[in-house]
Amino acid sequence: MAANPMHQFQVYRLGPEIKLGNIDLSFTNASLFMLISALTICLFLFFGSKQKNIIPGRLQLIAEMFYNFISKMISDTAGSKAKPYFPFIFTLFMFVLLCNMIGMLPYSFTVTSHIIVTLVMALFIFIAVTVIGFLKHGFKYLSIFVPKGVPVVLLPLITIIEIISYLSRPVSLSVRLFANMMAGHTMLKVFGSFVISLGLLGGWLPLTFSVALTGLEILVAFLQAYVFAILTCIYLNDALNLHH
Amino acid sequence: MRLKIPLIIFIFWFETFLFAAEAGMPQLDSEYWFSQSFWLVLIFLVLYLSLSKFFIPKIKNNLDDRENRINENLDEAKEFSELAEKKNLEYIKEMSNAKKDVTKIISESKKQLDKNINQKKIEFDKELEKEINKAEKEILDLKKGSKEKVNKIAEEVSSKIIENLTGEKLNDSSIKASVEEISKNRIGKYL
Repeated sequence: MAANPMHQFQVYRLGPEIKLGNIDLSFTNASLFMLISALTICLFLFFGSKQKNIIPGRLQLIAEMFYNFISKMISDTAGSKAKPYFPFIFTLFMFVLLCNMIGMLPYSFTVTSHIIVTLVMALFIFIAVTVIGFLKHGFKYLSIFVPKGVPVVLLPLITIIEIISYLSRPVSLSVRLFANMMAGHTMLKVFGSFVISLGLLGGWLPLTFSVALTGLEILVAFLQAYVFAILTCIYLNDALNLHH
Repeated sequence: MRLKIPLIIFIFWFETFLFAAEAGMPQLDSEYWFSQSFWLVLIFLVLYLSLSKFFIPKIKNNLDDRENRINENLDEAKEFSELAEKKNLEYIKEMSNAKKDVTKIISESKKQLDKNINQKKIEFDKELEKEINKAEKEILDLKKGSKEKVNKIAEEVSSKIIENLTGEKLNDSSIKASVEEISKNRIGKYL
């Protein structure tokens, strides 16, 4: 019985073992839920863009709302130069959001609660942003480590801090999402398992609390996807528009 | 209550026992890291390609179409409202022109009517005067004729009376003179 709050994060193989040399690339429950998320996004967008109605239906309205939401977010934080990266950020946001949301379903698996998943995404963003920065500005891109208007005495210190903060971006980005998801789901599980035992004392109160917590977790699921996407935009902005 | 507390303690103990059985974070177990990374990259890549090549352009098209349609409609509405404004101005102009025309026509016809009435009045007055003059003249003639006739009758009557009374024929001129004298004195009373 899955009374252990960490049991929900267990990854196990589904189907046959796939090995590439020494590397195990088996299809796991994590892969399954990534696939489910991706397929849900595709289905949602397919039905959201199927009809070309002037007055949109429900799904079309939601799909267009997401489109406009991300489009506005990118233009607000990174300006018009970031327009070519819209599909990537849109995909990123939708993927993280759907992984978080599908993770909220009971007995499902939360893909984003694994550090390796978020780290891969964060590292990709970090490397891509750095490459874009160097491609756009050459070695002048290094000037983001030297903020303007800082006293010369403080400059070495500030530069070191800037470098550390820049290098810690992938870590902070990935750990933020992973830790939020893991902590939230663990907390849900722990409080959920106490509903019956505490319910003997507190009646409906623990269940009410658990329900409220679920609502909070749904909010967090959305918020973390949004934060992940907006931080990507901000990093992109640093790379595209050098002076900050 | 007495039963509840041991029960709660038992459930807590049972749960801790279960937690202890499977401690640790599965996230830090590196067994499936490569698998997860591989599937993540694969699925994300496919998702990215299908979204950027298929779904996003479709949604963008929908949105652009709507915006174009709305703009077109707005332009059309603007055109129509301008047209309506123009028509309204024309209408106002026409109305004021018509009002002017009406006042002009009214004043003209009034003038014409006044003129006609005046002319008719003058003509009528003339006619009336003529008639009056004619009538007066007739009356005057009648007056004059009657006086003479009366005189003549009086002469004849008086000469006949005198002849019958006296048997003598008197001179006509003397009779005439006396009649004239009497009529001059008396005629005013009757005519």
